[in-house]
Amino acid sequence: MSVLLNRKLGRVGLGMLGLDVHTKGIRTLSTRLGDYGCEVAFLGEHLTVRELVRQARERDVDLIGISFSSGAYVDHCRDVVAEMRAQRMDVPLMIGGLVHQDDHDALKALGVEGIFGSGSTIDDIIAFIEKVTLDRVLRRAETTKEDGGRAAG
Amino acid sequence: MTAKDIEGEASASASGNGGDDMLHEKLTTIALSRTKTWGNIETKNHYTPEDVSDSDDIKGGPGEYPFTRGAFPQMYRSRMWSMREIVGYGAPEDTRRGLGVAIENGASGLNVVDDVPTKWAVDPDHPMFRNDVGIEGVSIPTLRDCERLMEGIDLSKIDLAWHSISLVYPLTVAVHKKRGQLLDSLLGSHMPDYFHQVISGWGSKLVPSNMALRMSAGCLEYSAANTPLWALGLPQAYDVRERGVSPAGEIAVGMAIVNTCLDDIARRGTSVDQIAPRMAWVSTSDVDFFEEVAKFRALRRIWARTMKERFGATNERSMRLRIACHTAGKSLVYQQPLNNITRAALQTFAAICGGVQSVETCTYDEPICIPTKEAKELALRTQQILAHEIGAARVADPLGGSYYVEALTDAVEKEALALLAEIEKRGLVEAIESGWLEGEMDKFNVQYDRELHDKERLVVGLNAFTNPDEKPFARFEPMKASIQNHVERFVQFRGQRDMATVTSAMQHLHRVTREGGNPYPAMIDAFIADATISEVWGTLRQGFGHAYDAFDVYTSPFGLSEN
Repeated sequence: MSVLLNRKLGRVGLGMLGLDVHTKGIRTLSTRLGDYGCEVAFLGEHLTVRELVRQARERDVDLIGISFSSGAYVDHCRDVVAEMRAQRMDVPLMIGGLVHQDDHDALKALGVEGIFGSGSTIDDIIAFIEKVTLDRVLRRAETTKEDGGRAAG
Repeated sequence: MTAKDIEGEASASASGNGGDDMLHEKLTTIALSRTKTWGNIETKNHYTPEDVSDSDDIKGGPGEYPFTRGAFPQMYRSRMWSMREIVGYGAPEDTRRGLGVAIENGASGLNVVDDVPTKWAVDPDHPMFRNDVGIEGVSIPTLRDCERLMEGIDLSKIDLAWHSISLVYPLTVAVHKKRGQLLDSLLGSHMPDYFHQVISGWGSKLVPSNMALRMSAGCLEYSAANTPLWALGLPQAYDVRERGVSPAGEIAVGMAIVNTCLDDIARRGTSVDQIAPRMAWVSTSDVDFFEEVAKFRALRRIWARTMKERFGATNERSMRLRIACHTAGKSLVYQQPLNNITRAALQTFAAICGGVQSVETCTYDEPICIPTKEAKELALRTQQILAHEIGAARVADPLGGSYYVEALTDAVEKEALALLAEIEKRGLVEAIESGWLEGEMDKFNVQYDRELHDKERLVVGLNAFTNPDEKPFARFEPMKASIQNHVERFVQFRGQRDMATVTSAMQHLHRVTREGGNPYPAMIDAFIADATISEVWGTLRQGFGHAYDAFDVYTSPFGLSEN
């Protein structure tokens, strides 16, 4: 565990959209990421796409994660990606839930970088977070050093 | 790597790459992975007569107070459990066709599930949720759609169970009333448990907690007085379990909901004997066979005592709990999905050994997609095999008297009562509003997940005995064209209504709710006046002091206000 805690992990914004009510997964993940020293900004449940992206921006997250139980996740992801562009939110997007293999290509084409369906482990997710947020983590560390730590937190 | 392969390979590969995993898998094939139940009750190697309490509870037979051994004296000899098949997708006409197929296959009861927007009481053209219309259930935004769904179905003859809450009851009553049939002939059931919605993921977004009690209690009151053959699934403990509690926790949270509603109804002057006989417990059956059997037995006992001792019931039908069971969706595994047939079959067997009155067996493909036709047929056949070949229906309470099952029944009961006392010390509404209850559920889930990760719990195909070469399964394809037509028809219909009639019905509903009256009669009349689900729910919300649209897209078209 101590090795893991030394990893450089970005701040992860986790949330759910609209009518989705299966909150078990996202809440469990948010505590479990904490076990590995990862900072989670819990963006909320039943959010509109606009609200989710706005929250993610305000809380300066390095990665957005959305959990779906809705079978219409491809359509919802399309809306999220469009809204991220509109709000100039340039961070990676990962999703979780019951994601069918046949949809992986469509999701990747939309720009969803991480897909964590059933059988994904916390270790897979941590490795992904480390990989895709490293640049932003290092950049933030630089900025913090330059302005004497005022921007920290 | 399968279990079989390990036999020959473990010693060779234990020192190679991934050796630890391999060794672990080898051990899991020869060693017991866990001595606690899945609900965390520690078990012993074996049980003896000393482990069984000497109470009178188990000396009587089924059908005798406190009903540990079953609700009815003859159990499945007098009436087989209802074998239900769940149907619901697309436009109302699509689901109507599905119901016809289920009847042909020999389903003795029908379960209808509505889509997510209908569950949220949101019209199908709401801009935020257009993608979800008709996907995970059937879309029923108006009385006209409910009529299409029930075309040719006599609601005084066919028992249609709604796996739903928000507005399906007033919609169904409205159909029956509009057909000119007497309300006291209406068969069917639904789950008017608004509390459970608040704690199982809907949050106060859909049902602010001041609405939850009034909507549940109002439904029980109205139904007991007007539709006495209609069964009321309260508590909806299935979703509570799926959200994250143990079997004992299911009893505790469910009883807290029941007690809170019955306390309120008693204060308003209706006796428990007018309500309780119409109630049924909506339960689950998860993977731990013996623990689930013990749960059903402990549950009936706790219910009976509560009705008699706490609420002063004198009618035996109030004390005799009927249980509707759906096997556990969350126990199903995406990987190697055919294994889910085995899981669901044994869960169904546990429910029967536990003496439930109806079962809806999950389809094996539930983690992958909306159930396919083949998977639905298999689920129903599973029940028919249990009933007619396995002998599951033959003898009531077949595990009664087993030292283990009796001891486990006592253990589940004890834990449930302790947790119930803790919830009631806080008060259910406070336990919900403070976030404490959901916090406890989150803790349960996190612990569970850690144990899966550390292999203290093994799930075949998920964290043990996995198969990396697995091929993805085919899935059900939503009926996009028919859904599109349905939404267009809805929008056109809404624009052509007699708005004076709708507005007057809405004003009446708003006024009644404001004045603290029971809103159900006004809701039913509003549907007959062709109001939509968004309009009825929005106006109710305003009556309780909340914004018309929970998602802040629409405002009331009737000039009504929440202030």
